[in-house]
Amino acid sequence: MTVDTPHPVAATGRQPTPPLLRVEGLTRHFMVSGTRIDVLHDCTFDVSRGEVVAVVGQSGSGKSTLLNVLGLLDEPSSGAYTFDGVDTTSLREGRRSRLRGDGIGFVFQQFHLLERRSALANVGVPMVLGGVPLLRRRTRARELLEAVGLGHRLHSQPHQLSGGEQQRVALARALSREPALVLADEPTGALDAASSTMIMDQLIDQSRVRDAAVVVVTHDPKVAERADRVVELVEGRTR
Amino acid sequence: MLRSLTAGIVLAFAGSRANVARTILSCAGIVVGVGALILVVTAGDLGQRFATAYSEANAGRAATLEVSAFGTVTDLDSFEEDLGRAGALEVSVYNRMESAPPLRADDEVIRNTDIVGVDAALGDIRRINMTRGRWFTEADLDSRAPVLVVNEALADRLGDFGDVQIGTDHWADVRIVGVSQGSTFNANQYSAYLLRAPSSGEIVFGPSWDPEDNSLPQPTYLARVDPSDEAAEEMFSGGVFTDRLLSASWRWGIENEEDIMVYRTDYAAETEELIGYLSLGLIGIAVITLTTGLLGVLNVGLVTVRERRRELATYRALGASRFTLFVAVVMEAVVVAVVAGLIALALSWALVAAGGALIGRFVWLPPDISMAVPPSAALVGLGSAAFVGLLAGIIPAIRALRASVVAGLRE
Ligand SMILES: Nc1ncnc2c1ncn2[C@@H]1O[C@H](COP(=O)(O)OP(=O)(O)OP(=O)(O)O)[C@@H](O)[C@H]1O
Ligand SMILES: [Mg+2]
Repeated sequence: MTVDTPHPVAATGRQPTPPLLRVEGLTRHFMVSGTRIDVLHDCTFDVSRGEVVAVVGQSGSGKSTLLNVLGLLDEPSSGAYTFDGVDTTSLREGRRSRLRGDGIGFVFQQFHLLERRSALANVGVPMVLGGVPLLRRRTRARELLEAVGLGHRLHSQPHQLSGGEQQRVALARALSREPALVLADEPTGALDAASSTMIMDQLIDQSRVRDAAVVVVTHDPKVAERADRVVELVEGRTR
Repeated sequence: MLRSLTAGIVLAFAGSRANVARTILSCAGIVVGVGALILVVTAGDLGQRFATAYSEANAGRAATLEVSAFGTVTDLDSFEEDLGRAGALEVSVYNRMESAPPLRADDEVIRNTDIVGVDAALGDIRRINMTRGRWFTEADLDSRAPVLVVNEALADRLGDFGDVQIGTDHWADVRIVGVSQGSTFNANQYSAYLLRAPSSGEIVFGPSWDPEDNSLPQPTYLARVDPSDEAAEEMFSGGVFTDRLLSASWRWGIENEEDIMVYRTDYAAETEELIGYLSLGLIGIAVITLTTGLLGVLNVGLVTVRERRRELATYRALGASRFTLFVAVVMEAVVVAVVAGLIALALSWALVAAGGALIGRFVWLPPDISMAVPPSAALVGLGSAAFVGLLAGIIPAIRALRASVVAGLRE
């Protein structure tokens, strides 16, 4: 995948590039002690490179569930999900993991940092998996942490950081391999206004500077406002 | 594939460093189990080497036969030739003198010395440990004076060997070429080997020896045969060796089978059997200890599975495949186990060295047996540590990786 694909909006006069991801008729249900819980019915939308899309909806409407499918962490019950031209429904585990590691950066609602590992080590993990050599990994992890304002906390472990700081480490980690798709699940939920703005600036930068596609789940109208487009989940359907 | 593998290894090292409690708990069980195994193998090995050395020093190497004739052998040269023809690789006369001549040092007479008349070949039949000087050589046969190798007790008594005589009908100067280490049997008893040479035949064999045709009543010999030769199975005559020896016995004057006694003196066969039982018992103990260690490690592994599920799901969310994480978890267990094995090795090495020093103060140890962990024990120890690590890693790894990523993250 090429990083410098022209921005769809800027590419006036040329063929519009195909979207980076597309979901069509996607459903996801869970079985809980014999009862079927339909969380997503019929979601259809696409996201292109350089776009920032906000996903909004009530609590329990299935935003996290949708994001897990987009992040290849979960598989849909039915429907199609195409990522970077690859139909992901028929992928085997190894290929899926690789596609996820190479192409997708995930910022979780609960951060999911590795305990007892320094901020530097946490940011380095995706690069370990990507086979980036040690020295380059170190330098890059340091740069990323400095970019989110944590240059002075490189060796702190998650339990020594505030919620906002942990979220920034998680963001740095998600961006460490310059993924084509950045997914963020309520990245600003636990943060004050200033931190929240900083995180959003970083995410929007990813699309503007690096031409990545960004999908961010949020409750915050201020955050949704800054997105190029808003997808609303109502009763498991996209609007 | 390669990328997954190297990533797995990097994660394994990071994991064992980060989870210190888990690492130390796993280590402890293995250190004890592997330490016990190394000590047991070391004990078995030392026992075997000790028994062999002891047997070789006191009863001869495998297979040593003692050959005695009850009657007069009319021609010792032909008799010795026939011993060789019957299968002996080395032959030495072994004439333990009933009333040994006295020795004299600096005009003081020393009685009660055990003197055995031997050939230089005895050095190839028995393990003779020299503390000073050397064993007999061919050149000593030309010596005008009788040549002796004495034990340590006698050497201490004789002083600087400057003025030593042996007394038959007159006092004759002797040459002492070496001092042999005593065994537990004769540590305090004066004893000496006297080399049979043309000039000393009379002292070696006494007055009943006839130098004219080299005949002697009731000689005793030691002969070493190939342990795989059927002649080695001789037990109190009537065997292959006796048959072969007697085939031309008219040459040296003994006709009756009953007048020749041959029996095997070394206890290589018995030692082997004993060591066999011993090692079986020791291996049993080692297996039990090691299994206990394994169960301990496995327990730690399984207890931490819940904690690990979240960690592993996080890795997977960041792009690690199941294979990578399987490698990481198993490698981590193996690395921890091998490090524990190395610790166990160092501890047992120190223990054996200390124990050896202590035992050496109370018990006679052959000088060529060092109290140390043999390479085989180290290898067995580290090998089983790695094996335990592998087993203890695989089961929790499979269990931890069964959960889906999303479920793992929810733990
Ligand atoms: N593994 C599961 N098993 C059963 N039900 C599940 C599972 N995962 C999610 N659900 C259900 O699916 C629904 C949507 O959950 P999801 O976490 O996607 O909501 P959300 O929109 O992210 O909510 P919030 O804004 O509170 O984070 C919830 O009712 C939840 O109980
Ligand atoms: Mg959610």
